[in-house]
Amino acid sequence: MKFINKAFLSLVLAGTFLVSSCDSLLQVDPRQSIDANGALNTPDAVDAALNSVYARLRSVRNYGRDLFALADALADVGQTTSNSGRLIGENNNQPNAHFQAGFWQNSYFAINEANLILDGLSGVQGASAAQLARWEGEAKFLRALYYFDLVKVYSYIPTAIFQQGVTDEGGIPVVTEGVVTSSAAFSRQTPRSSIDQVYTQIYADLEDAKRLLTSRGVQYASSGAASALLSRVALYRGDWAKVVAESTTALASNVGSVLSGSAYVNGWRTPVNPESMFEVRFALAEESIGVNESLQSSYTALLNLSNKNSQGGWGDFIPNATVRGFFGLTQLQIGTPATDNNNWDVTRNSDIRAQLYTTGNTVRGAGRQIEVTKFLSKSGFAYADNVPVIRKSEMHLNRAEANYRLGNAADALAELNAFKALRGLTAVNLSGQALLDEILLERFKEFAFEGQRFFDLKRNGRAIVKTTPAVNLPFDDFKILPPIPQREVDGNPNLNQNRGY
Amino acid sequence: MRKVLLLGLMLFLASAVAFAQDRVITGTVTSTEDGLGVPGATVLVKGTTIGTATDIDGKYSISVPAGSNVLVFTFVGLRTQEVSIGNRTTINVALESDVTALGEVIVTGYGTQPKREVTGAVSSVKGEAIQNLPMQSFDRALQGRAAGVQVRSSNGLPGGAVNIRIRGVGSINAGNEPLFIVDGVQLNNQSNAAFTQSNPLAFLNPNDIESMEILKDAASAAIYGSQAANGVVIITTKKGKQGKAKFEFNAFAGETQPMKFLDVLGGAEWFDRERTAWINSGNANPEANALNSMGILPSNWQTLSREQLAQIGAELPTYDWQREVMGAGRLQNYEMSVSGGDAKTTFFLSGSYNYQEASFKPVDFERGTVRLALSHQANDRLNIETNINLSTFQQNVPFAVEGSFLGSPAFSASAILPHNAIYNEDGTFNTAIRGVLGQNVVLVNEYNSGIQRTNTAVGNIITNYKILDNLSFRSLFGLDYRLLQGDNYRDPRTPDGAGVRGRSSVQSDWRTRFITTQTLNWNKSYNAVHNLSAILGVEYLSETREGLSGAGIGFPTFQFRTIQSAATPESITGFWTGYRRASAFASVNYDYKKKYLATVTARYDGSSRFGANSRYGLFPSIRVGWSMVEEEFLKSSSVVSEMKLRASYGLTGNDQIGNFAARGLYGGGGNYAGSAGIRPTSLANLDLGWETNNTFNIGLDYGFFGNRVTGSVDVFDRRTKDLLLDQPILWTNGFSDIANNVGELQNKGIEFEISTVNIDKGGFRWNTSFNFSKIKNQVISLYDDLQFLPANPGIAVGQPVGRDGGGSVFAAEYAGVNPATGRPMWYDINRNITYLPLAADRIYYGSNLATTFGGLNNTFSYKGFELTAFFVYEYGAVFTDGQYSFLRENGTRLALNGLREVNDRKWTEPGQITDIPRDVKTNGGNETRGAGRNSGTAALLKGDFIRLAQTTIGYRFNPTLVSKIGLSSARIYLQGLNLWTYADYPGYDPEFTGAGTGQVPLTKNYTVGVQIGF
Repeated sequence: MKFINKAFLSLVLAGTFLVSSCDSLLQVDPRQSIDANGALNTPDAVDAALNSVYARLRSVRNYGRDLFALADALADVGQTTSNSGRLIGENNNQPNAHFQAGFWQNSYFAINEANLILDGLSGVQGASAAQLARWEGEAKFLRALYYFDLVKVYSYIPTAIFQQGVTDEGGIPVVTEGVVTSSAAFSRQTPRSSIDQVYTQIYADLEDAKRLLTSRGVQYASSGAASALLSRVALYRGDWAKVVAESTTALASNVGSVLSGSAYVNGWRTPVNPESMFEVRFALAEESIGVNESLQSSYTALLNLSNKNSQGGWGDFIPNATVRGFFGLTQLQIGTPATDNNNWDVTRNSDIRAQLYTTGNTVRGAGRQIEVTKFLSKSGFAYADNVPVIRKSEMHLNRAEANYRLGNAADALAELNAFKALRGLTAVNLSGQALLDEILLERFKEFAFEGQRFFDLKRNGRAIVKTTPAVNLPFDDFKILPPIPQREVDGNPNLNQNRGY
Repeated sequence: MRKVLLLGLMLFLASAVAFAQDRVITGTVTSTEDGLGVPGATVLVKGTTIGTATDIDGKYSISVPAGSNVLVFTFVGLRTQEVSIGNRTTINVALESDVTALGEVIVTGYGTQPKREVTGAVSSVKGEAIQNLPMQSFDRALQGRAAGVQVRSSNGLPGGAVNIRIRGVGSINAGNEPLFIVDGVQLNNQSNAAFTQSNPLAFLNPNDIESMEILKDAASAAIYGSQAANGVVIITTKKGKQGKAKFEFNAFAGETQPMKFLDVLGGAEWFDRERTAWINSGNANPEANALNSMGILPSNWQTLSREQLAQIGAELPTYDWQREVMGAGRLQNYEMSVSGGDAKTTFFLSGSYNYQEASFKPVDFERGTVRLALSHQANDRLNIETNINLSTFQQNVPFAVEGSFLGSPAFSASAILPHNAIYNEDGTFNTAIRGVLGQNVVLVNEYNSGIQRTNTAVGNIITNYKILDNLSFRSLFGLDYRLLQGDNYRDPRTPDGAGVRGRSSVQSDWRTRFITTQTLNWNKSYNAVHNLSAILGVEYLSETREGLSGAGIGFPTFQFRTIQSAATPESITGFWTGYRRASAFASVNYDYKKKYLATVTARYDGSSRFGANSRYGLFPSIRVGWSMVEEEFLKSSSVVSEMKLRASYGLTGNDQIGNFAARGLYGGGGNYAGSAGIRPTSLANLDLGWETNNTFNIGLDYGFFGNRVTGSVDVFDRRTKDLLLDQPILWTNGFSDIANNVGELQNKGIEFEISTVNIDKGGFRWNTSFNFSKIKNQVISLYDDLQFLPANPGIAVGQPVGRDGGGSVFAAEYAGVNPATGRPMWYDINRNITYLPLAADRIYYGSNLATTFGGLNNTFSYKGFELTAFFVYEYGAVFTDGQYSFLRENGTRLALNGLREVNDRKWTEPGQITDIPRDVKTNGGNETRGAGRNSGTAALLKGDFIRLAQTTIGYRFNPTLVSKIGLSSARIYLQGLNLWTYADYPGYDPEFTGAGTGQVPLTKNYTVGVQIGF
């Protein structure tokens, strides 16, 4: 009995002890997160935070798919198969079938992270000057890239602003200070900057990046990549002399190389395309975007080229008659039986880029189709190809176009013909509008399925002429621009929605 | 003389003694329910204080003084009987169970109370009511049993999730789950299974439950403070009773069957509708295109005429994929319990095995449980008790719990094109499946495998110490431990596994919850009219959860199915999380002559989940009651046997948010180019506190005609203030939302319960109980005077929220089909017809939260025969059913099968009035420049139903008969679940939660069972 009483007493004591000191009892700290205050105080933390800004480029809503496949679906590059039902609305330019809210969200999240890194650089303990320069340069390059992608999508492009001051609602909100406290998150309601202000901001960031950076691989920002991006931004801004200057700088840099012939084709079969000046890296199998929305899956039903019968992606978006015409593509049976997908290929013309197209398979509903194979398990695992954001070849086409605009038609023609030679095409002799059209056509062929065409049409104020279905989108149509996510407009009285939404 | 007088007195006294000689009466007290002796029953000589108690076998012996001729037999839970002695010396009495529950005791927060004195809104469900139902978790069995408690199975996965809402939905972003307490241990009922749904509450064999009490109003629940906002369900398990060991064997077995197969089109019918669609789209080769859509266009088609092509289509076969993958399943349950004890020690020991298959093989549930309840009276003052529940259950997992996965039988079986053969002629699987669902789900189902296992230990140690006669101390230590393990294999012979040469995914997830409660109980009566009692307590709870999961790809052959054979680790991850809570609480009860009743409670909670500035909260409540039957004017009434008016008001909190929701954090994420990334994951909110429910409740408990009619009516107004809302942050500021205390939500409603004994004559008895609840839910306010939430306009002031706190349906109203052209039409905001509704045309259209629900039970019994019919009903919910929405497209967007009733109703000729548009092939199956056919409210369904949830026919053998073969009781029964459903519903079944796409539907169950006591 005494024992029981003792046991009872100890229970009482244990009970009271357990509830005695509440505050320390209630202290539980997370183990897989750290406090946001001071999180970026060490060099390793800044490196890791910068990785996250890069990683956001992999999002399906950014370079994972939409900036390439969705943008091309909006343009005149391809047609849809209904295999999974994706990209049909975009290809038909239905209202609201455009860049999605997630693109805005993910891009601004990345911009905030870049801003937080830039804001915190002064507080990093033990950082070398070289590290500080690299972090600032890379963060600014990334911020510029995200802003450029946002402004080219949500706003008119400076070279073709539709009814400036009437229907145009300006640029996009520009924020250059990071938010990490709730008070700032609640109170900051940033209006749209003017288009020009946005491009000025992008210029400033890229100039800094160019000055601060060297190169540590094409998966990271470099001085050369900054010049190359500046060249494209200047092209969109109509700043022709700047295009020529930056293209020249970029071409002279040791980042990336311009390829021709089979080397060019093989460039699309290696994990890292040698043409890339900056590309988004998919390093691990778990970063695979998967069978539904990856670029590979969007473009082809093949799993790989070694056995065309293997079930791969959906092949939702395939070349239309225009693109097939560029390269002389028609289906061609090369063996028997016809039921074996490996016994099929395509006819091709002399353009080496025709090598990047072949027949798919009959696994999906639409049957065997001609598909683009720029993204086909290059890295050794499915649905996770590295995405070339800027290829060095573009510099030639940028410079040719800018030279034409500057009145240097001879330089433009020479550069165009030199480029055509790289792709196995004969020289042309054109002038005036025909020369510009040919430069743009060459750009179309070169960057088909790389997300440039929609913006090339947009910056030239041209209508989108569709083949399948044959429903055109004139430049004055409101559907040229996507809606700004409604939640942002509803929650921010200073933010104007685009026309028509 | 003196001697004579003395002698005379002695004689007189002697004679007086002789005259007053006692009689000794003996006998046995049994229960009519099981025919067994009732130990511990009180036998009292009426009008005296002379009494005794029955022994372990129910036997008694009592001396009855002369002049007394009536014995009174009483036992808790049994109806008191008075028996005239007459000339008998042996009196055997069989006590009936007291169905009118006059003396019923209700478990309330940290104590018990006679039902007559309860002043809050508490529903009680006895264990017998749900006994032997083939349901894996008791929460599902609560459906329709108690007013105000809405229960919905999430799907037909045995042991799957159950959606339980007490008095509506009180939160938008925090949890809406009630607090479940088993034997004083507060459980975490969050399911974390990766590969199927594993309801944590399925750890408990429902047959081990003695009773369930549901604390509905805030005042009753307030003693549980910051976790009681959604109500509290207190489960009391069976305990041993004094007496000789009672064995009970219980078994049932039977079959599950699909409630419904969807009536989908056949091969030739699908060809015909596809051809029509191509014709409607102006195509010149509709037959060829239709055959191409089906993947069977002959290569020489250009040499064939349209008629010949049409002939191919007309001769297409039909294969029934649903009946191939859906069908009957087995179910069985065996359990054995033994209970008993002596005056000092009682015990209850049970073990059970339960197995059930879903309608989709191999999805199943297999459970074993062991339970021990032990109580020991160490001395007059000290009692020690323990309850230990051990359980393991294992589930074969479905391809996916929900979703439009090609390999998922639950999705594909009804949607796959019907001309696809399942097997080749040689009996092998057909792998050339045409149409968008290009996988043979029978093959996929056969080759994949996966298992989810849940091991649970829930137990406690309770010490009761009587410090004084009216003061006792109770100390409880409890544990809720759960280990979840799972593995899932995508076979390399299936399309999803082929690309990666097989994938094995594994999961381990540990949850450890520790709780201790220390309470003091005190009571005292003053002048025998003022009764006062009080509870004072402290409580501490800590919970940690951690997990590991990973996946590997690249398997040598399909025979290697475990992760160690993988060539490449695809992913590996883990997590740790935890929280703590410390509390103090007090409750004071007062009554005056049991007539005027009052209870005041308060709890002070501190939780690590909340912001540093608002970590502690106070949750007070008050309840008052007026027991009118105790008043003189009703005391003598022969009609009114119970009448109590009660009112309560209280505050409860909701703390069901992330453990670190108040913290501003950087977390891992965004690895790039092979090196690790970190990013800001949440914004700090130092002021983040609980969400507060203020509930006002008025109720009336009534009983008439000797409690042959009993019940209660309650009206309540539940206001949730300072909602734990994920307040949207502008994305331009780098975050999506921040947990913040803003906004207000209201649930107001009426609850009605009635139980009647309709007939009780000549051994025939007919009982009815019915309950009805109607609840109006609406958002009262948001923040910054916003009328709707920017990120989710379905959450709007004046509109209800959904059953998971999601928004109302906010969509353009469907206007049917243009009779002239067959185009689908919608109303714009000005009620004009439009083909292309815009965001501005959306209107509010109700939510998926039912407004009205309840249950109806009828029991008929006659001499051992018993018939039970139990109905449940729900009204007022609207929602979309993803599976139906896909099928409603009628194959126009994607090459999927369609429903016959949809296809029959589609527009075919001008003038036809219908709601299904004509089939076209343009624009992804929609009219050019027209919205999708399921846009707006077009595919919205009403979820109303009435269901015969349970039907049982049983027979209990006469105890004297079965005692001859050594049994004390025996009962056999037949039971059916979900035998009949009334619903105007085109999908599988209106009872589900989630999107409805590719979910395993609920089943019908048939069982036969036997219960034997010895």
